[in-house]
Amino acid sequence: MILFGVNLLRSTFPLISYVPLTRECLSIHIGQAGIQIGDACWELYCLEHGIQPDGGVLDSKKDQLDDANVEHMDASFDTFFCETRAGKYVPRALFVDLEPTVVDGIRTGKYRSLFHPEQLVSGKEDAANNYARGHYSVGSEIIDLVLERIRKLAKQCSGLQGFLIFRSFGGGTGSGFTSLLMEQLSIEYSRKTKLEFSVYPAPRISTAVVEPYNSILTTHSTIEHSDCSFMVDNEAIFDICHRKLGVERPSYASINRLIGQAVSSITASLRFKGPLNVDLIEFQTNLVPYPRIHFPMTTFAPIISADKAYHEELSVSDITAACFEFSNQLVKCDPRLGKYMACCLLYRGDVVPKDVNAAIAAMKSRNSVRFVDWCPTGFKVGINNQPPVAMPGGDLAKVQRAVCMLSNTTAIVEAWARLDHKFDLMYAKRAFLHWYIREGMEEGEFSEAREDLAALEKDYEEVGQSF
Amino acid sequence: VCVLCFSGSGFRWFRSWVQTWHHSSSHAEVTSHVAKPEGPTIGIYNHVLGEFGEKKKKKKRRLATDVSAGFWLGVEWDNPERGKHDGSHEGTVYFKCRHPTGGSFIRPNKVNFGVDFLTALKNRYVLEDGPEEDGKEQIVTIGNRTVQTVGFDSVIKRQSQLNKLEDISLRNCAVNGAGDKGGIATACPHIRKVDLSRNLLSSWDDVIDIADQLKDLEVLNLSENKLEFPSCSTSLIGTFSALKVLVLNRTGITWAEVLRCAPGWPVLEELYLGSNNICISERPVDVLQTVKLLDLSSNQLIDENQLFLIAYLPRLEQLILSNIGISSIHFPDAGIGCKTSLFPSLQYLVVNDNQISQWSFINELDKLQSLDTLSCVRNPLTAGSKDSQTTRQFIIARIGQLKTLDRCQILPEERRGAELDYRKAFGNEWKKAGGHQNPDKNRPNEEFLAAHPRYQFLCQKYGAPEDGELKTQQPFILKNQLLTLKIRYPDQLDQKVLEKQLPDSMTIQKVKGLLSRLLKVPVSQLLLSYESPKMPGREIELENDQQSLQFYSVENGDSLLVRW
Repeated sequence: MILFGVNLLRSTFPLISYVPLTRECLSIHIGQAGIQIGDACWELYCLEHGIQPDGGVLDSKKDQLDDANVEHMDASFDTFFCETRAGKYVPRALFVDLEPTVVDGIRTGKYRSLFHPEQLVSGKEDAANNYARGHYSVGSEIIDLVLERIRKLAKQCSGLQGFLIFRSFGGGTGSGFTSLLMEQLSIEYSRKTKLEFSVYPAPRISTAVVEPYNSILTTHSTIEHSDCSFMVDNEAIFDICHRKLGVERPSYASINRLIGQAVSSITASLRFKGPLNVDLIEFQTNLVPYPRIHFPMTTFAPIISADKAYHEELSVSDITAACFEFSNQLVKCDPRLGKYMACCLLYRGDVVPKDVNAAIAAMKSRNSVRFVDWCPTGFKVGINNQPPVAMPGGDLAKVQRAVCMLSNTTAIVEAWARLDHKFDLMYAKRAFLHWYIREGMEEGEFSEAREDLAALEKDYEEVGQSF
Repeated sequence: VCVLCFSGSGFRWFRSWVQTWHHSSSHAEVTSHVAKPEGPTIGIYNHVLGEFGEKKKKKKRRLATDVSAGFWLGVEWDNPERGKHDGSHEGTVYFKCRHPTGGSFIRPNKVNFGVDFLTALKNRYVLEDGPEEDGKEQIVTIGNRTVQTVGFDSVIKRQSQLNKLEDISLRNCAVNGAGDKGGIATACPHIRKVDLSRNLLSSWDDVIDIADQLKDLEVLNLSENKLEFPSCSTSLIGTFSALKVLVLNRTGITWAEVLRCAPGWPVLEELYLGSNNICISERPVDVLQTVKLLDLSSNQLIDENQLFLIAYLPRLEQLILSNIGISSIHFPDAGIGCKTSLFPSLQYLVVNDNQISQWSFINELDKLQSLDTLSCVRNPLTAGSKDSQTTRQFIIARIGQLKTLDRCQILPEERRGAELDYRKAFGNEWKKAGGHQNPDKNRPNEEFLAAHPRYQFLCQKYGAPEDGELKTQQPFILKNQLLTLKIRYPDQLDQKVLEKQLPDSMTIQKVKGLLSRLLKVPVSQLLLSYESPKMPGREIELENDQQSLQFYSVENGDSLLVRW
C-alpha cells in the first residue's frame, strides 16, 4: 500500500523532483546450470542495454541514458550494472563453481572482458553431483572466498535490494553449495530479498541418478532462506524448443537462451526502472501468500522460430491466451488440476493498456482459470515499455511484444510429488546413500528433508482447499 | 479496383470493384444508372470495412437477390466463397468479378471506409476522453475478482506523447491513408518501427505519403494490405532513406513491382516477400544490392531457374525458401568439388517444407562458398526416413563447411563421426565404382563422383576404407555363428560324407560325443583332425578335448576328418 501511495504522489505532483535511489540487485550464478544460464542472461541484458562485450556503451544508447538521468525516466543500468571510472559497465554478478571448466568457458568466451576476474570464482575439485560435497566437504573450502567477493560487490551498491540466485536443483554445486551460501546470506544480509531461478530436474531427461536426493535436500535447507523461487524445467523447455522452434535436438545453449528470455522479462522491471514501470518486489508481495508457498510457475509467450519472423503477428490477446496454454509453460504440470493463488502478467514492448484490459476480459470465459477462495484479487498486470530483444543468430524471432506470466498455482505440487516419489524409491533401499554418508552427512538429514517436503505437499493441499 | 475488409467472426479480405448507385424502386432503374456514365456514382472506394455477422450476411444475400429499394455497394471478396455472384444480377452486369461467385451487394451503412494514419494512432495510443481518471476506473474482473493493474496510468501517459513514440503497431486498425499532409511529421516524427499490417491501404502511393513524413523509419511492415503498386518506375530519393527492414507478406506484389519500387530503398537490409505468388522474372540490376536477408517463403511459383536470377546479389547472407515446392537445384558453373560463384555471401539457407527428395540437392549446396547454416526439415529426404540421425549425419558429411544444421550446432566430434560413417556406408559402392585403397589405382567412375562429390576428399582426410570395415556385419544370432563342416572318414571310404552345422564355440569333446552317437563308435576311439581348402595337404589334429573349434581356427567350409 505504501508503494501505491508513492506512485500516486508522483503522478499527482510531477513537479516534485526526487533523487532515484538505486536499488541494486546482485546476481549469483552457481554451478554449471547457473553459470550457463548466467552467460545467456548477461549476453541478452547487454544487447538490451546496448552494452558491448567489453563493457562500453553504444553511443545511441548513451544519449538515451543521459536523457534518462535528466528526466528520471529510465534509470536503467545501475541496478544490474556498475559503472567504473573509465565509463565501462560491469555486471553486478558473481559466478561460482567448484570446478574450473565451466567458469573457464566464461573466462575465454565472448564476454570475457565484461567481467572482472574477481567475479569468476572456481575451485579445483568438483561436487560430483553430490549435495554433501557441495554443502560440506568441498563447498566449505570456498565459501569464505565467495562471501568475501559478495561483500565486495555489495560495497559498490548504494541501496542493495537483494540477490538473484541461479542454480539447478540436481547438480552437486547447484544444490549443496547454494544451500550453504543461502544460509550464510541470511545471516549476513537478513533483510535483503533473495530470489532464486532454479532448474528443476527433468522427469525424463536426467543427468544424474541422485538428482532427487539433491533436489529434496536443497529444497529443505533453502526453503527458509529463499523468498521466491522461479522454477524452470529442462524437459518442458526441451519440448518447447523441439515442438515450437523446430530444433531437432536442442542443445543446452538453445535451452539457456530461452530461459534467458524469460529471466529478462521477469527482471525487465528491475533493470528499466522508474516511476513508469513496475517493481518486481511489488509483484512478489502478491505472488507469495505464505512464506513456504513460494514456487511460482513461469510461462512465456510468444515463442516463434527465427525463420518465421514477421509471418505470425501476435496481438496482445494472442500472447495472453498463449500464456494459459500448457505448451508455453516452463514447468511441466497441469494447471487445470490446481487453483491459482496469484497470477502476474508482465508485458513488455508495444502494449497498450486498453488491449491488455480487453485481452484479460476475454480470459474470463476460460473455465480452466480457477482461483482459491481466500484470495481477494486475481490478476496483477504490469507493462514495461522496453521491447524484447532477440539474440542475433538465436532460435527466437524478434517480436514487438512479449509476456511473461508468473503464477503461483497449487498444481505445481505435482512437480514436488513426482520428485518425492523418486526419492522414496531410492531411499527405501538406501541406494546411493553411502556417497553422502562418506562426505559426513547423516541419514537423519535425509528423512528430515523428506518429511519437510511431505509437509510442503500438505501445505499446498491445504491452501487449495475451499472453505 | 479496390479492396474491402469486413469484420464479422473475424476479418476477411476481399478485392472488389465498387460501383455505387442509387436504387429507387425498380430493378430497371438500377440498370439505367449503371448503364449511363453520368449515373449517380459516388466514387470508387479503395478499401472498406464492414460489420457483418454470419446472420446479417444471409439477410444481405436475400435483399441483394431481389434487389429492392435502396442504395447498394457492389463488392468482390478476395475469398470467393463469401460472395454469391459475378457482379451481375438477373442478366444485368453491374460490375465485373474475377471469380464467378466473388461478388456481393451490400448496404453502405455497414461499410467502414477506414481512418487515416493519425486517427488510428490516436485511437490506439491516446485515450479519447481527455481526463485520465477514466482510464483508472476501468476495472476488469474475472469471475468475482478484480484485476489489479500496476503503473497503467503512467504507461498511458507515456504513450500519449506521440512525439516520443518510436516503435508502434497499427495492425488491424483500418488505416486507409496518410491523412492531412504534414500531420504525421508534426505529431510523431521519431517513429522508427511501424507495423501497418492488415490495414486498408490500397496503393503504394499511400505508403509513400506516410513514409515521406517519417524520416527515421527503419522497419515497415505492410503485410496483408492489398496494395496496388505503381506501374512505372518511380524515383523517390529520400523517402525510405533509413529503411532497413521491409515486410511485404501477402500483399500481392509481383517481382516486377518489387524491382520498380526497389530504387527507392537505398539501404534496405531485410526484405520479406512471403505468400505473394511471386515469380522471379528478371535479374535485379543496380537495386537490392544491400539486401542481406530475403524471405521468399510460400511462393509456390518459384523454381530453381528463377533462383539464379537473384544469385548475384552481392550481400545476400540469408535466404529463406520455406514451402516453395523446390525439389532440385544445380549450379551449372561449378564442377564436382568446386565452388560456385553464385550466391557469394550466402551463409544461411532455409529450405524447410519443400519437396527435396534427392541427395543431389544436398551435394549441390556444398558448392556454395560461404554457406554455414542450413535448415532442411519436413522434406521427403529428411522427414520420411525412419532414421533421422543417419540423414543428419549424411547431410553433415556431404556439406563440408556446414556449422549448424537444423538449428543444432555441429561440433567437431560430430562432424568427424558423421564423415567416418558416411565413408564407411558408401565404401562398397565406391569399390564397385572403381575405387581402390592404392591412390594410384583409385579411379572411381564419373557416376559415383557425381553422387558423392566429397567422397574422394574424405578418403584423403581419413584414409580409404579398409576391406575389413566394409564387410557388412551379420546380426549376432546363432544362425550366423554356425560353421558348415564336411565330415569325412579317410579310413572308412564307404561311409557317406556328412555335412553338419556346428557353433564355433563347441568343444571338441562335444563334437566327439555327437559323432559317437552318429557313428555308433565309442568316444574314446575317435580321433579328430581337420583340413582347410586354404591350406591344402595339411591336416591339423584336434587333440585337446577341452578346447573349442574356434581355438583351432576351424572355419566355414573346412572338412572334419574322423578316424577310429
